[in-house]
Amino acid sequence: MPKVLITGNEALAEAAVRAGCRRYFGYPITPQNEIPEFMARRLPEIGGTFIQAESELAAINMVYGAAAVGERAMTSSSSPGISLMQEALSFMAASELPAVIVNMQRGGPGLGNISPSQADYFQAVKGGGHGDYKLLVYAPSTIQEIVDLTVLAFDKADEYRNPVMILGDGVLGQMMEPVELPDITPKTVDKPWALTGAKGRPGKVIRSLFMLPGEDGALERQNYKMKAKYDRMCEHEVLCEMVQTDDAEIVLVAFGTSARIAKTAVHLARVEGIKAGLIRPITLFPFPEKIIAEIAGRAERFLVVEMNLGQMVEDVRLAVNGKAPVAFYGRPGGAVLAVDDILSAIHNCVHGKEPEKIYTGSE
Amino acid sequence: MSTPTQETPLTLKALTHKPVHLTGGHRMCSGCGAPTIVRQVLMAIDEPVVIANATGCLEVSTCLFPYTAWQVPWMHSAFENAAATASGIETMYRSLRKQGKLKKEMKFIAFGGDGGTYDIGFQALSGAMERGHQLLYICYDNGAYMNTGIQRSSATPFGADTTTQPVGSKIQGKTQRRKDLTRIMAAHNVAYAAQASPHNWKDLMTKVRKALATNGPAYMGVVSPCNRGWRSQTNDSILLSRLAVDTCYWPLYEVQDGKWTINYDPKDRKKPITEWLKPQGRFKHLFAPGNEALLARFQELVDQDWESLRKLQEMSKS
Repeated sequence: MPKVLITGNEALAEAAVRAGCRRYFGYPITPQNEIPEFMARRLPEIGGTFIQAESELAAINMVYGAAAVGERAMTSSSSPGISLMQEALSFMAASELPAVIVNMQRGGPGLGNISPSQADYFQAVKGGGHGDYKLLVYAPSTIQEIVDLTVLAFDKADEYRNPVMILGDGVLGQMMEPVELPDITPKTVDKPWALTGAKGRPGKVIRSLFMLPGEDGALERQNYKMKAKYDRMCEHEVLCEMVQTDDAEIVLVAFGTSARIAKTAVHLARVEGIKAGLIRPITLFPFPEKIIAEIAGRAERFLVVEMNLGQMVEDVRLAVNGKAPVAFYGRPGGAVLAVDDILSAIHNCVHGKEPEKIYTGSE
Repeated sequence: MSTPTQETPLTLKALTHKPVHLTGGHRMCSGCGAPTIVRQVLMAIDEPVVIANATGCLEVSTCLFPYTAWQVPWMHSAFENAAATASGIETMYRSLRKQGKLKKEMKFIAFGGDGGTYDIGFQALSGAMERGHQLLYICYDNGAYMNTGIQRSSATPFGADTTTQPVGSKIQGKTQRRKDLTRIMAAHNVAYAAQASPHNWKDLMTKVRKALATNGPAYMGVVSPCNRGWRSQTNDSILLSRLAVDTCYWPLYEVQDGKWTINYDPKDRKKPITEWLKPQGRFKHLFAPGNEALLARFQELVDQDWESLRKLQEMSKS
């Protein structure tokens, strides 16, 4: 298959189209404007719908509406815009509606900046809105992976009847790489719950409100039903890449853009004779905790690398559960990591007397 | 009424002695209408003034931390919140006055582009106007989301080419007509609502003074040429704002105490809309063969709005 050179944002949009997404609702925010602009041109060509909403609140609630009728729907935004969408994401998870939400993260908090960041990890994986719910979260680290995971995201959203998030960042959205765009026949999933018109059949209800008279305990039951779904995701959906972890004494854990940089640092450490390895979670929820726990049994130490002040490191520590020291190196506020700094952090960890001390870089 | 005793006369001679509260060195594009508008607004005011600014070109380009072009207190919150932030500041001011902790008369202004005003900030704006805060909301209206790359807004004119309603085989630019926000604000029965243009600085500054002299909320929509989004010459901004008025695309008018007043009526000198459209690349396709009907439709929309504005003026004459 011939490869095309394309930005991450455009690759994602085209992959969504090929995965059968015909309804896109969006609102401009840097650094993901190429997605709505691409969809504005592409969807009318194939009988799809592009709507530019008047706000992120409106965009995500349009997705809510389209998902309720069983359509493959998507929206995309960047950090501040994703914050505005949290209410509807909680509603959609409670109503068990499939959709794909893209977050090309930028530096925060607040208006922050437009540099790439990974500071929305907590918001993405812990249920950013109110209530007990989870999104299935994919963290691509190459443009090809953006394409593949976007297709997968639509399938998994339908399979689990749950919103799925693709957590990228400004680097992944803006940079170009050669990719193969797959020719696929989108999976058609039977959606007996979809609101398709009640002519000749009883009406259906999609709701997140469970307080009608005579349905005591309904909301608790709904929460247990959703929990069972999240447990199934943990059982079947974990994706993770491992680089030279078999004999690794120091194991780095990183996702997305920082994993690309960490991978180079691991190779350089190997050249120096340091037995380094890398675990790259591809799903952030479900988290590859069993894999990390297993490696914790044989690795001497862990180093978690993120473009934030330490978020995923908490999940790594829970998985390692005290079996090995877990250090952290990261930079917040849209600062991109440098290979040399990660390598220094590896040296610090291997030779330092306090391996758990946070390495703060050389500002 | 709170008109100061010694108002600076609105003459060029007097105004040259006033300090400029939005200094040079900001990063707005050359030829942008917004900083010219802001300077005219701030020059019109003699009292201390506090600014709330919505996210947008004006905000990101005038306050690149640690630098600021603003010589007055200035606050930015998020995209949708300028009117709410200004409401909070003004409420605190009234409370401090009541407590006797503040003696000075102060003025409160919120600036937003058309994205932050017509669209995402509309709810907060409507709320602030209805509650009746003593603030003036000014929208510099360049008719698209220029800051994020020229996406359409509900202020984008009919037929304009934007990155999210691009001209192609299916559509010829924006298919809808623009939202008339000044009339929507007038329908809130605010103390003062007006449209202005930077080419007529005296009219604009008089309106700012009238708006701030009222005991209630005020709104001003100001047309703000953007050479990036309009695809026009950088030195044509003032010309294009004048043509917007002369073609009656952007009539200068005000609404006060239910009375509608057109401040400039070109009468038989009203220019065809093509004179405003022609210098702008975003309307180039409208002049292509086959699009004559779209051009005629644009003129029709302008004529409809202008006629209904004249009727409103006529009806509210007492």
